[in-house]
Amino acid sequence: MTMEQELEVLDQFPVGMRVLAVDDDQTCLRILQNLLHRCQYHVTTTNQAQTALELLRDNKNKFDLVISDVDMPDMDGFKLLELVGLEMDLPVIMLSAHSDHKYVMKGVKHGACDYLLKPVRIEELKNIWQHVVRKSKLKKNKSSVSYGFENEGKANRKRKDQFEEEEEEERGNENDDPTAQKKPRVLWTRELHNKFLVAVDHLGVEKAVPKKILDLMNVDKLTRENVASHLQKFRLALKKITYEANQQANRAAIDSHLMQMSSLKGLGSSFHHHQRPIHVGSGQFHGGGATMMRHYPSNTTLGRLNSLSGGMFQPVSSSFPRNHNDVGGNILQGMPLPPLDELHINNNKTFPNFTPQQSSLMVAPNNLLALEGHQQSSSPSLNPGFSPHLEMNKRLEHWSNAVLSTNIPQSDVHSKPEALEWNMFCDSASPLINTNLDTDSRSFGRNTDFGSSNATQTEFFNPLQMNQQPENNAGPMTEAQLFRSSNPKEGLVMEQQKLQSGFMASDAGSLDDIFNSVMAQEQSQSDFSEGDLGFGLFGSLGTCI
Amino acid sequence: MNAGIAQLQMQFRDYTISLYQQGFLDDQFTELKKLQDDGSPDFVAEVLLLFFEDCVKLIGNMARALDKSTGTVDFSQVGASVHQLKGSSSSVGAKRVKGLCVTFKEYCEAQNYEGCVRCLQQVDIEYKTLKTKLQDMFNLEKQIVQAGGVVPQVDID
Repeated sequence: MTMEQELEVLDQFPVGMRVLAVDDDQTCLRILQNLLHRCQYHVTTTNQAQTALELLRDNKNKFDLVISDVDMPDMDGFKLLELVGLEMDLPVIMLSAHSDHKYVMKGVKHGACDYLLKPVRIEELKNIWQHVVRKSKLKKNKSSVSYGFENEGKANRKRKDQFEEEEEEERGNENDDPTAQKKPRVLWTRELHNKFLVAVDHLGVEKAVPKKILDLMNVDKLTRENVASHLQKFRLALKKITYEANQQANRAAIDSHLMQMSSLKGLGSSFHHHQRPIHVGSGQFHGGGATMMRHYPSNTTLGRLNSLSGGMFQPVSSSFPRNHNDVGGNILQGMPLPPLDELHINNNKTFPNFTPQQSSLMVAPNNLLALEGHQQSSSPSLNPGFSPHLEMNKRLEHWSNAVLSTNIPQSDVHSKPEALEWNMFCDSASPLINTNLDTDSRSFGRNTDFGSSNATQTEFFNPLQMNQQPENNAGPMTEAQLFRSSNPKEGLVMEQQKLQSGFMASDAGSLDDIFNSVMAQEQSQSDFSEGDLGFGLFGSLGTCI
Repeated sequence: MNAGIAQLQMQFRDYTISLYQQGFLDDQFTELKKLQDDGSPDFVAEVLLLFFEDCVKLIGNMARALDKSTGTVDFSQVGASVHQLKGSSSSVGAKRVKGLCVTFKEYCEAQNYEGCVRCLQQVDIEYKTLKTKLQDMFNLEKQIVQAGGVVPQVDID
């Protein structure tokens, strides 16, 4: 159903809600049927769990809710519960004559929305429609306005059934994070995120439901809840990226034309798209890392963005003359983000120079942006080095956000790829995610990683420069790859805080220095616990470079 | 005739109340009756019919599971059938049957063979008794309706 249709249905709820009742006890089933009819639901009954599954698989949109007995001869009710949750993601209510706490617990853990004891009273059944509304609202929210990082957690919790609180408890226990974070979180390491992406890819972004993803990921101690919230962020990020990508594409197209006209000299002057035009010293264009850094001493995010873009853009700038509608042109204009998007949009001509790694950097944001609209090609991970990892995405995201919003001058861009990245990571996810690219400049001010970013920049620059003329395809390709592999906004948002600490912790090969310096800076700024980030992020960075 | 109907109705009321008082029926049976209306006029009778069928089936399962001649007794299997009977009896309001199932289940868990066999015998007697009593009640209802009267609603305190 479309969103509108769903809303309409909801308006009529609970009348006509389609329930599938499963119980091998014919007496109970008959009574249940009558009770449900009296609640004005539409009832289908079966005394075989297998039949129930077939009915559900036959048409996933045929039912709104499933009520199932726990003890059934042909299939364990809990098993049915799991399968329904995994395959159809429908709310399931358990029924049982067992009043033992352990059974109720088991039901909750397997994802039951509710657990009713026999004999069932009609009063209890009159309220079960709430689960359907709740669940569908949850689904809708996943693709709607993004929440702040903090808010997401809270919102998710509010939406959750009381029964699901238990899962949160579990998650808390699983996490050994000693940090001062408000609640323990699962750390979405690169590996974990990769698995997530693979699962989502396999299922299809539209059809990926938490249970299935969880199953495919096959990770111990990971709960459906963890996956659900991660997925939500992922989708939000995708949506945002797509939107922003579109915006950027338009701007980029204009910019590139302008750029061409103004030539390199006019780099700094023509970027007034963004709120804060940043002077782009052509001299700083290439490798003005140190210089760049200076520009954004207090704006780590920006710095990072710059560094990222710088790295990325650098090649672009060099190739600018030949990239008419390239992102490069746009990049020059200090819109690293847009270029990425535009790359996608403009068939990725923009960043011809991006090597896979570079692209990944760039791509990440693009991927995020373009994911929805443009490059859905889910290639495996863009960067061998960066991998779809969260970090990349996050950085890119920050980077793109920063770039877009702050009109980072080319030089800045070039010189502060790392800074940007770091900054982006440091920045809280929420601002990043929730704000338009255009207004992301705010987020830049948060971190001051410039010092470290310098080093980073160098790192970035080199590869970038070397790959000045990457195939244009690399851009989109990598972007798609990045997208696929990374967890664009979601990763960023979710792991914002984690990233910060994570960055600090990990040593990524050549990025060690950068990281270390970043860490130092970030630590002073970041308010999240290091424990959160974990080392996965860093590790990937190292390999990237 | 009216006196006849009134008498029948009184008989019906008294009989129903006695079933509750003697513990054959409980609140759930009352709830079940509430679900009967013009849309489903024979709802209670239908459900009880299903219930008695279940009893036959489940008691048969228990008897087979407790049959030593087939080998070792599988108490978990007995327990599973008892559990199901408990569920359905509680759903229809068959109070005595349900009570027996609780005891029966305990014997199963304790793997008390004699206890289980005793319970099985009692359950068998109990459901048959209930069946007879309810049949009498339904007959009274039928007589009232045939006499042109309305089956009174019996309020159980």
